Amino acid sequence: MRRLSMRSASMLAYNLTLAMQSFKRAPSLYFLVVLTLSIGVGLLCANLALVNSMASDPIPEKSEQLFHVSMNTWPNDDPQAEPFHILRYREAMKIVSSDIPKNSAVFYASGVYARDSASPSLKRFDSSVRATTPGFFSLTNAPFAYGSGFIKSSVMEVVIGHELNQKIFTGENSVGKVLELDGELLTIVGVLKPWRLRPLFYHATEGRAFNLTDDIYAPLETSIDLGWSIHARSSSTVSYKGVKFTRDRDVFYLQAWVELENSAKKQAFQYYLDNYSQSLKDVGEHPLAIRNELRDVNAWLLEQNIVDQKVLAFTLASVLFLCVCVFNASSLLLSRFHSAKFEVGLRRAIGASNKNILMQGITESALLGVIAGLLSLLLSWLFLKLSIKFLPDLENLAVLEPKLLLLGVLLALVTAIFSALYPLYRGTRYTISAELK
Amino acid sequence: MLKMNNISRIYQSDTIQTHALRDFSLNVEAGEFVAVTGPSGSGKSTFLNVAGLLDHFDRGQYELDGVSVQGLKDNELSRLRNEKIGFIFQNYNLIPDYSIFDNVDMPLRYRGFNANERKRRVEEALEKVGLASRLKYLPSQLSGGQQQRVAIARALAGEPKILLADEPTGNLDSLMARQVMEILHDLNKDGATIIMVTHDTDQAREVNRNVQVIDGQLADFRVYAPLDRQAEQTGKNISAVASKNVNEEVVDA
Amino acid sequence: MNFATLNIKGLIKSLLLRKFTTGLLILQLAITLGLLVNSAILAFDTREKMSKPTGLDDENILIVSTHPTSGSYRDLDYYRSIVNEDLSKLNQLPGVNSVSITNQLPIRGRGMLSNTHDIDNPEQEKADKYLKDVKYTLAGEHLAEAMGFTIIEGRFLNKSDELDFDSEAKNNIVITESLKKGLYGDESAIGRETNNGIIVGVIKDIMLDPTLPRDKQYGLFMNTIMKYIFIGRFYVINVEPGQMANVRNQVSDTILAVQAERDIFDVFTMSEHLKNFYRDDQGLSDLFLLLCGLMIFVTAISSYAYSQFHISRQKKYIGIRRALGARKKDILLYVLTENWLVYAVGCVLGLVMALGFNILLSQYISLSKPDMMLFLLASAVIFIAGTLATWIPAVKTSNIPPVIATRTV
Repeated sequence: MRRLSMRSASMLAYNLTLAMQSFKRAPSLYFLVVLTLSIGVGLLCANLALVNSMASDPIPEKSEQLFHVSMNTWPNDDPQAEPFHILRYREAMKIVSSDIPKNSAVFYASGVYARDSASPSLKRFDSSVRATTPGFFSLTNAPFAYGSGFIKSSVMEVVIGHELNQKIFTGENSVGKVLELDGELLTIVGVLKPWRLRPLFYHATEGRAFNLTDDIYAPLETSIDLGWSIHARSSSTVSYKGVKFTRDRDVFYLQAWVELENSAKKQAFQYYLDNYSQSLKDVGEHPLAIRNELRDVNAWLLEQNIVDQKVLAFTLASVLFLCVCVFNASSLLLSRFHSAKFEVGLRRAIGASNKNILMQGITESALLGVIAGLLSLLLSWLFLKLSIKFLPDLENLAVLEPKLLLLGVLLALVTAIFSALYPLYRGTRYTISAELK
Repeated sequence: MLKMNNISRIYQSDTIQTHALRDFSLNVEAGEFVAVTGPSGSGKSTFLNVAGLLDHFDRGQYELDGVSVQGLKDNELSRLRNEKIGFIFQNYNLIPDYSIFDNVDMPLRYRGFNANERKRRVEEALEKVGLASRLKYLPSQLSGGQQQRVAIARALAGEPKILLADEPTGNLDSLMARQVMEILHDLNKDGATIIMVTHDTDQAREVNRNVQVIDGQLADFRVYAPLDRQAEQTGKNISAVASKNVNEEVVDA
Repeated sequence: MNFATLNIKGLIKSLLLRKFTTGLLILQLAITLGLLVNSAILAFDTREKMSKPTGLDDENILIVSTHPTSGSYRDLDYYRSIVNEDLSKLNQLPGVNSVSITNQLPIRGRGMLSNTHDIDNPEQEKADKYLKDVKYTLAGEHLAEAMGFTIIEGRFLNKSDELDFDSEAKNNIVITESLKKGLYGDESAIGRETNNGIIVGVIKDIMLDPTLPRDKQYGLFMNTIMKYIFIGRFYVINVEPGQMANVRNQVSDTILAVQAERDIFDVFTMSEHLKNFYRDDQGLSDLFLLLCGLMIFVTAISSYAYSQFHISRQKKYIGIRRALGARKKDILLYVLTENWLVYAVGCVLGLVMALGFNILLSQYISLSKPDMMLFLLASAVIFIAGTLATWIPAVKTSNIPPVIATRTV
């Protein structure tokens, strides 16, 4: 056994040496093969990276237990959508008051200008706000660097994100510091670690699925009382002067997520919601059919169709491009193997079997594949940077995860060997004497 | 017909200058059948290449059928080659992908004949060499002798003034060689001017003129009285030959 | 170019003898053509979308997008006073014709919308779904001049339409032409009452939402911006032609000089706003064109390699042809024609590919159907690119001397 593996190891080394020699004999041809394969693979990988970012599960540890709530409580028979993904205050409170879910979060998106109240500078930072009930932090597994979330919905406390902490407090532990937000003072009780959600599942609507996580997390009631305006979709059947006045009106703007640990809980909660809707119906306040829908993270993302169709279209085109590159590599390799006919014939004449020649050829293409694969990683990265110039919305998505890097090298390897298959096969069909002539 | 005067063909490598032809002078009249012999490397092939306008020469003058060749551009040389010269190679040089018909047809295309004219000439030429029934065959389906005959037909189809043959029987066995020489002699009897390079001294003896090339120069030449063949009057085109006794072979030799 | 010297049948036969390499090249050509056609369609589609008239004086409208940063602006009277001073100072800049303030801009999908129907005819909305989503724009007093609206009936809003903040009276509104048609057909709309207010004027359509049909650009304007000053995000400035650069440089400073606690997000012209709306479409189109370029590059390499490979195997036969009297031109033509035949087959197959890709891509993005002219143009590009790629090998081949025919090595 030992002798066999030693022999195959030395054969491999020999084949590798032969491959290097072969490359030196036709450097421009092999360069072209490597170049075109790596461009093809690189482009495809970059696109797959984008699609992956868009289609991946942002919270795999509990994506099946987190559910978005949509309800059909629009107060007249001319609904904006059925069911609606945003809720009124009264429904939101009903959800939050249930003890069936392990965690629940009801929130809306807003924005304020933030400043360190202790700072002499009047410079204020435009910050995105998530006005939410406290359950948000446990529900989303928000990672805390310092401190923790606020406990009640009506305190003057906030949690801030890593990036804002960097901007205002240069990254230090700012728990206890006071921020001036739109003229009001709120105390920081928690600072998050850098938190990337791709996609931003908790707010996947209104084209926000690829936004960064929020800068400030504020208690819901406090936000409403401070009149921090709604920055995402809101619909109403009545006019209202500001968010302060939405608690008792038919203004739909809050989104709700619940954490239900198993199917029994899910059923129980569904029943709870349906019961509530029925009670509305009984007093004539629910004109539409009862349609309360719970969708887990992946189902919700799928429903929102957040995978950018443009990127999908381009990915398709890059698959075709890779085919063209493979065909190109194949015909280049064919011409190379043809001109190497004499040497191959000589080897065969002195005793190399067809299998040896085949292994030599495959080793050569595998080596090409690895080189092309490494080059393609660089090109993938370059292309991702480039794609941001063309489609700026993709900026937060343009990341190359390790599994994609591996995919790139594997793909290059496979395509290199695949393009060499027919030329290799043709090479074995020559008669030795014809090769030597 | 062919007048070469002090032709020199020099090959220049980085350090060495080789004279393949050196002050080579030769006159060939219409209707002559000239055998060119000489040791290998003597320059006889070079002579034939220069004569056939396949290669250029560095010094001297060359007049072919009254046309002075030096200073002619590639276009004109090609035209001359196409119209006046019929070349027969040692290894036939047929296009393996093309049928017999297409092979013989090739030079006619460059002449600019229309399809009917070409068809006529191809069929006539193949008739003359006895292969008219094998129009659609590929060269690989024929014996060496038959392939050479096709090559001869190709050389004849354009009615050239002079035939140049480079060891035409070199790759053939003695029987096929005989047949090919028969055809050449018949063509000469009907007025064809032929210059043939050969190793075979017997072949050389059979023609009416011998020249020897040694070290790129013309050595002594002897004019043999032809054994039993009569040259007809000069200046005739080779095509004006009544169909001769070339029997079509039933069996592939 | 004497094509009579070519034996086309012979050429085709020799192409058929090398099915693999020829087939690969044909496939590449077909795919390239398919992509080229569709990329061109995408580029033209995008260009067409972007050149649709907006009904606005795009070049001469400057927009400033701004938001106060300080909490003092919660005092709305303070906010209003600052805004009024902003507007007055901006108006004083040389080159400025008029200034106004508004809550949202045209050329934008969705936005602030309201359902609208004639007060006596609420059922209208059921018949025309676009009436549910009418663009609800709060207009400052001079918005019509700033934007360059064309009044076709009645008048635009003025100071008198600005009600007291706690007034319960009905608002006066101005609507777009298509909304008028949608509500009242060909009748006059002046004086009629809708659920949102009483119509005092109708303006010629402007492009409110490019994703909606041309005749469904439903929009209404009312002069309540001061009441809801906190959503007055955009200053709209009408600039004298030629003065845009001057004015543009000064707006930020002018506004900040009035009161510095403001965030000026962006200063842009209406035409830049339009371009920005199609930024992603343009981006995708550019990406596709980039891919085309790469594909043509790779296919050109293939064509070169293919040509080079087969010529090198044919050296001897080229020599024979020369020996038989072919001129250099004839050989050049021979080599080029060989390639052109392959391109021709590739382009024909490419037509099928182009149609196929078009159908496939239409599942993801909106794409017009290909037409013959485009296909012919794309084929021409392929032919030219291929001929350029194989030009040097072709010329080298035509230079093969006839003496090669006699070489036995």
